[in-house]
Amino acid sequence: MAQTVNAPTLPPPPLSAGALGWARENLFGSRLSGALTLVSAAAIAVGLWFSLAWIFFSADWEVIVKLGGRFVIGQYNAETSCPGQNCFWRPQAGLLMATALLGVFWAITASVSVKRAAFAVALTSAAFAFLPYSLNEMGWDVRLLLLANVPALGAGWAIGRHTPLNTPSRAIIASVGAFLLTLLLLRGGFLGLEPVVVEKWGGLMLNILLALTGIVFSFPLGVGLALGRRSNLPVLKLLCVFFIEVMRGMPLITLLFMSQVLVPLAFPENFPLNSVTRAAIVIILFSAAYMAENVRGGLQSLHPGQAQASRALGLAAWQTTLFISLPQAIRNVIPALANQFIALFKDTSLVYIIAMLDIVQIGRAFIQGNTEYLLHARELFIFIAVVFWVFTYAMSYFSKRLETHLGVGQR
Amino acid sequence: MTTAPEETPASDDIIVFKDVHKWFGSFHVLRGITTSVRRGEKVVIMGPSGSGKSTFIRAVNRLEEHQRGQIFVDGVEMTNDVRHIDAIRRDVGMVFQSFNLFPHLSVINNITLAPIKVRKLPRREAEQAARALLERVGIPEQAEKYPAELSGGQQQRVAIARALAMQPNVMLFDEPTSALDPEMIREVLDVMRELARSGMTMMIVTHEIGFAREAADRVIFMDEGTIVEEGPPKEFFINPKEERTKLFLHQILTH
Ligand SMILES: Nc1ncnc2c1ncn2[C@@H]1O[C@H](COP(=O)(O)OP(=O)(O)OP(=O)(O)O)[C@@H](O)[C@H]1O
Ligand SMILES: [Mg+2]
Repeated sequence: MAQTVNAPTLPPPPLSAGALGWARENLFGSRLSGALTLVSAAAIAVGLWFSLAWIFFSADWEVIVKLGGRFVIGQYNAETSCPGQNCFWRPQAGLLMATALLGVFWAITASVSVKRAAFAVALTSAAFAFLPYSLNEMGWDVRLLLLANVPALGAGWAIGRHTPLNTPSRAIIASVGAFLLTLLLLRGGFLGLEPVVVEKWGGLMLNILLALTGIVFSFPLGVGLALGRRSNLPVLKLLCVFFIEVMRGMPLITLLFMSQVLVPLAFPENFPLNSVTRAAIVIILFSAAYMAENVRGGLQSLHPGQAQASRALGLAAWQTTLFISLPQAIRNVIPALANQFIALFKDTSLVYIIAMLDIVQIGRAFIQGNTEYLLHARELFIFIAVVFWVFTYAMSYFSKRLETHLGVGQR
Repeated sequence: MTTAPEETPASDDIIVFKDVHKWFGSFHVLRGITTSVRRGEKVVIMGPSGSGKSTFIRAVNRLEEHQRGQIFVDGVEMTNDVRHIDAIRRDVGMVFQSFNLFPHLSVINNITLAPIKVRKLPRREAEQAARALLERVGIPEQAEKYPAELSGGQQQRVAIARALAMQPNVMLFDEPTSALDPEMIREVLDVMRELARSGMTMMIVTHEIGFAREAADRVIFMDEGTIVEEGPPKEFFINPKEERTKLFLHQILTH
């Protein structure tokens, strides 16, 4: 007899029987898995033993210490780049703005992951203020500006909470403004600020600037290309296909090389276009082509009933694209986009081909100029690899959070 | 053409089809459909699979373009003129077999999207109306959920509420219950019955004979792209004239 009415409601059974139970179930479920677990554990232990021994006893991290701030800003503050002035504060002002804006976004979105990012940036920056350099090597001014990231975060949060800068769209506009302001500051040449030619920008700052520019501009361009490729206008479609296939068909390094020759052709003569801008343009176009194909894949995967339902409600074609198709398409391809942006970030290193000193190249140039460190190139490049990993892992983490937040694959 | 759209002869007819033809490639789907629907009338369309029922009602709001003949909705002829099409789509609600709710929007946003973007209603007003509609279709407590979190019957009721939010004069239903379990079929049909009582003009493709008998003013039987027979449900079900109708009814009744 079914007892549905009077059956008591029971709590669900416990998910697992503690750590031991979990291990028994997952690590030693069968003879084979038990053996595999033991072998892997041994391999991991040996690997860890040798890595840690090398990191703490054999390796000489002196070279990292010597390069110091140059990892971050390259030659930017060198006497040859910024003669007669101390220019270190200009990149730092950019960092402060970024931290403050993270605070603003934290206040607006109340999202845990944004909060974590904001604290990570602010606290890491502040932590650098305590590096055991002498005051000669790293002055109070530098340290104070680094520490200022913590109050900047608080200020940003207060701004997002208590001022009209309290909607996502306004915060995005403010971010674009802050980005442009940072570029202007770095450039200098006004209000008595010594101009610093962009060829002297370098280090991680250069990688980040190029990656940010690339992501921000290639996104709308790529979406436009994807829509163009799917449009009914044959000429537009053909142009988009042509552009995408050409850009995808060439290695980025070739494009960067060509940028120095070809991009100027697209602008009037004497147009003040420096090599970094040219590189940035090429990176944007290259990334946009991949972006377009990713977004197109997302659009293709949509059920045709979605657009039909939207049109049947009276939404115009452009509204259907903007409110129904694109949000779903982009949401569905977030993993692919994250992948692409990670690749883009790493590819910014290729600007060495046009004689820019990004973080990798700064390291290489240093070793070449100081042959006494030749033996420690390993430490140097491992360090640089870790820096890249931290950033790309952060991107991966955020894309994962975004997926969860938007319910990809769930709804 | 910039002249005023041609007026239909009888203004009591809200939908008029005059010798409408449609081809998919070389496949002749609609082969001369001529019929009209009066204001407030409930028309049920039946017919074997592939007979062109969906194509027929989708031609009403031009989700399918016809290639010959004329279609008038509310006195306006359906042509390629985008303004007419958009105006008519605002006036004609549609409910699909597969619901087609927008999965990235919550239930309330599914319903308010078109009123806000198309009718330019203020959000607050649109949400109030949406909640009233959810009440009407019997699921006021689901407003903040996402479509994937609802049962099929609930999703279809949201889809009906979404269409009603545009305050249409005509509602088109394309097999609204075919993807549902029996229990959910009933909840959806209840909503449709209530809608029918409220005086809405409805065109419904369905195989629910019980519903057709009690709610329809007229049943249209289609086969191979033509209207084979039409008439009030009593006559249609009890006394069909055409051989093909008899065969079809025999099949679905003994099924
Ligand atoms: N986009 C299309 N391209 C080509 N052929 C189509 C298309 N849509 C429908 N058809 C064909 O047109 C015919 C009529 O289709 P329609 O969907 O109108 O039939 P239906 O009566 O609604 O059938 P069902 O009961 O299966 O829904 C079918 O043979 C179908 O294969
Ligand atoms: Mg059909």
